Amino acid sequence: MTAGEFFGEVKSIAGRWIKKTLRRPPFLFFSLVQPIVWFVLFTAAFASVADIPGFKESTGTGSYLTFFAGAVIIQTVLASAMQSGVGFVTDMESGFLDKLKVAPIHRASILLGKLLSDGARILLQTAVILILAFALGVGIATGLLGLVLLFAIALAFGIAWSGISTFIALATKNSESTLMISLLTTFPLLFLSTAVMPKLLLKSPVSDIAVYNPITYIADGLHGLIITPGLNWSVVGLAFLIIGAVGFITLSATTTMFRRTVSA
Amino acid sequence: MTAQASTSVSKSRSSSIAAPRLTAEGDAIIHVENLVKVYDPDIRAVDGISFEVRRGEIFGFLGPNGAGKTTTIKVITTLIKKTSGTAIVDGIDVDKNPAGIRKIIGYAAQEVGIDDELTGRENLRLQCALYHLPKEEREERIAELLKAIDLEDAADRRAGTYSGGMRKRLDLAMALIPHPKVLFLDEPTTGLDPQNRAAVWDYIRGLNEQGMTIFLTTQYMEEADRLADRLCIIDHGHIMAEGTPASLKGSIGADVVTLSFKTNGVANPNATAKAALARIHGIREIQEVDGGIAVYAQDAPALVPQLVLALNDAHLDIAELTLTHPTLDDVFMKYTGRKMRTEEVTPQRRTPWGARRRRPM
Ligand SMILES: Nc1ncnc2c1ncn2[C@@H]1O[C@H](COP(=O)(O)OP(=O)(O)OP(=O)(O)O)[C@@H](O)[C@H]1O
Ligand SMILES: [Mg+2]
Repeated sequence: MTAGEFFGEVKSIAGRWIKKTLRRPPFLFFSLVQPIVWFVLFTAAFASVADIPGFKESTGTGSYLTFFAGAVIIQTVLASAMQSGVGFVTDMESGFLDKLKVAPIHRASILLGKLLSDGARILLQTAVILILAFALGVGIATGLLGLVLLFAIALAFGIAWSGISTFIALATKNSESTLMISLLTTFPLLFLSTAVMPKLLLKSPVSDIAVYNPITYIADGLHGLIITPGLNWSVVGLAFLIIGAVGFITLSATTTMFRRTVSA
Repeated sequence: MTAQASTSVSKSRSSSIAAPRLTAEGDAIIHVENLVKVYDPDIRAVDGISFEVRRGEIFGFLGPNGAGKTTTIKVITTLIKKTSGTAIVDGIDVDKNPAGIRKIIGYAAQEVGIDDELTGRENLRLQCALYHLPKEEREERIAELLKAIDLEDAADRRAGTYSGGMRKRLDLAMALIPHPKVLFLDEPTTGLDPQNRAAVWDYIRGLNEQGMTIFLTTQYMEEADRLADRLCIIDHGHIMAEGTPASLKGSIGADVVTLSFKTNGVANPNATAKAALARIHGIREIQEVDGGIAVYAQDAPALVPQLVLALNDAHLDIAELTLTHPTLDDVFMKYTGRKMRTEEVTPQRRTPWGARRRRPM
């Protein structure tokens, strides 16, 4: 098996998933409507948060909408990544995974193709949110490079987080469990971080928990790129470092579980 | 597809002469010895089976639900790991080089493995990519197969909208994409209507005539009888009998009279009947089977009056009496003590794949 063959396999498998995703009406609906609902609801309900003394000084913006854009990206990536595993469950149930297993391919391309397609889906959803944010008047203070880094964070974070749901899916072979765990974790992680509220306004114990929540550092990175002119490499670097650490754990666990699944 | 021509000459499907016993190892393309598969916690799905499939033949695995057919196929096609024993395909050991086996086989599972959200054509395209077909050959190969399984009209609809029979055919085409040396078909016609079943049989036979070795499992006696050059009867993880359909039927060497009784009055009609018939001269064997007894005799028609009289003397009311020359049903009954359901096929077809063909999609 040559490298060219491997590349072709990954491309075909990722292409299959992307095609499937785009053909699913609920996906298009949620990718568009959910961020709109988030923007409208939250910024209407929490607009006055920006008037609290200290908000502008600590975040760098007087607009809650601008601050909230990062949270919408995180929420969407979390929710999307948590669906990633479901595809494996349906493939196991339909027998399609057997079809892939009996084909003369590198079995790694089954997992890699899937994760890459998850990444592509998340990039697309991030782009939708950013277009929406621009339309609502949010700017990216760090310019084009900042925009590229924003996508890079969303992509890396998305793939790292997809590892969790893929692991759960492979371990439980059950889509309900996979989705339940997603529902149960997404919101606590989001609200126990600096994604929706700046650190200054978080009260103990939330502020204490937020320090240990990886989402906090990813949110700080995104907020920084959107709000603060001039790239703050230490904040962005920390976000990537955290994503790298999370990704290392989730993807190693997923790979181990995947090996066990395909070699059964 | 030509190398096997010499072996296929020697076989004759319609004649009753048994195929010659396997002489050299080189004849066998699949070699299985003492294969055991135990599922967790302690389910012995396959319990020490041995058999060989010869190059260029259609080999059948006939058995009821839960016999171990799928399990055996999954071990040979490298989908699951065996507990012990040996399985070799075209000289390649499943343990040593599973990837090598995957390159030369095609597999259509019992439950079709197609992607419902893709069209039939897209499913086939994906399969081409997975089997690394040269890009310039792909579309031609797909068109050829779509034509062969009569799915041209539906090729660009989502597979999720296909009927059961169309899905089964698409799955068969998927298995054929790589021009496999050995084709594994796990119950290829289960769920098909008689027309479609007959068309699949014709198609499988055609593939075999071009030299493809085919391993198929089935629950249908008639399918095994019509298609297989040789077959194994498998039940509860054991091979109960092996041979050509003709030799298996010949092994009964007698006609079969199957009897069942009304339950009025007599406590154990089967045992009573066995005792009552024991004295009749000319009966070779009496066996208790599902719902009655089977009487094996060389010239059964001549014996029927005596049978009926003897049973009448024993106060047994006959519910049903059938007399048959040996069929694979009888072979199955003889070796397992149970009946298997059979289905009749009436090929009154207008188009090769049945009446569904020109229905608007
Ligand atoms: N993954 C599994 N885990 C546990 N037991 C299994 C598993 N797969 C099959 N079995 C058991 O192994 C036995 C053989 O099953 P198998 O699927 O090989 O039968 P089969 O001959 O293909 O039957 P069918 O005609 O119904 O397809 C059955 O008792 C079945 O319950
Ligand atoms: Mg089966």
